[in-house]
Amino acid sequence: MKTPREILLERHKNVAPKLDAIRCECVGQASSLSRNKMSETGKMPVLLLVWRELIFPSRRIWTSLAAIWIFIFIVNFSMRDRSEVALAKIAAPSSQMILAQERLLAELTETEPRIAEPAKTFSPRPSSERKIQIVTT
Amino acid sequence: MPVMAESEQLPVQPAREGSPAAWDALFRRYQLPLYVYVFELVRNEQTSLDVVQETFIAAVKHIDSLRDDEKFGSWLFGIAYQKIIQLWRKRGGKELLLDEIPESPNEFDDAPDDLLIRREQEAEFMNLLNQLPLPQRSVLLLHFVEEFSLDEIARITETQIGTVKSRLHYAKKSLRKLLERKNENAA
Repeated sequence: MKTPREILLERHKNVAPKLDAIRCECVGQASSLSRNKMSETGKMPVLLLVWRELIFPSRRIWTSLAAIWIFIFIVNFSMRDRSEVALAKIAAPSSQMILAQERLLAELTETEPRIAEPAKTFSPRPSSERKIQIVTT
Repeated sequence: MPVMAESEQLPVQPAREGSPAAWDALFRRYQLPLYVYVFELVRNEQTSLDVVQETFIAAVKHIDSLRDDEKFGSWLFGIAYQKIIQLWRKRGGKELLLDEIPESPNEFDDAPDDLLIRREQEAEFMNLLNQLPLPQRSVLLLHFVEEFSLDEIARITETQIGTVKSRLHYAKKSLRKLLERKNENAA
């Protein structure tokens, strides 16, 4: 009794010498191909070599890392935008707004609204003039 | 032709590094099973030898694309399968290996060795094998010659596991039926 595998392999045993010849030819081609590959690798520019040896074999990892970084940048930018808007909102109210609020407060408390005094402008006198005054009195 | 055990350690990594001895060992291991598979589909010695040679050269060129070293065998047979398809396309043949089988059976309990054939039945077995439709024959050969798993056969033939399962089931069933009929007639 034989298995189908045994029958199949036995039936084609006579081709073995031809297959051996093919194998020798292919092994020869393999060694010449590997030699070519090695010489190509020697001539290859550094960037290409880095790409082939470092990046390409683990391209999925690199891609996911890049995706994570892009995500971090996006999150970072969106957070920064929001804080700027918030800062703009918090920014000091204008003088018109203060006046309007004071008027509203006055109406509610039924008091005269204070009229803001105009700021005094300081005009320094020449020191020589002051000296003269001291002398005359 | 000595055949290595199933848990064999194939020198795929040294081959990838360009070792001629490693390539020699790999080709020696697979040359006859690969030839048998190709020949039983193509039915021509010279064409089969050409396909084997082209497969080996393609393997040398594209060894870097092999991810799992343990799958070298199924990867090699996959290349050979593609070469056969290309050959048939060149000759203007139909997609003979791509026909569909209606339903998928649930059971798959047979090991490749469970079909034992008596010496006087050998010729009959080969005759029956050649009568099977090409898709069934292809799957059955992969199962018999290298004991590939369903998953591996599906990957080699680029089909769904369900399709492989049903092809294998029908192929074995018809082969058994034919052998039993012959036995009854002989008795």
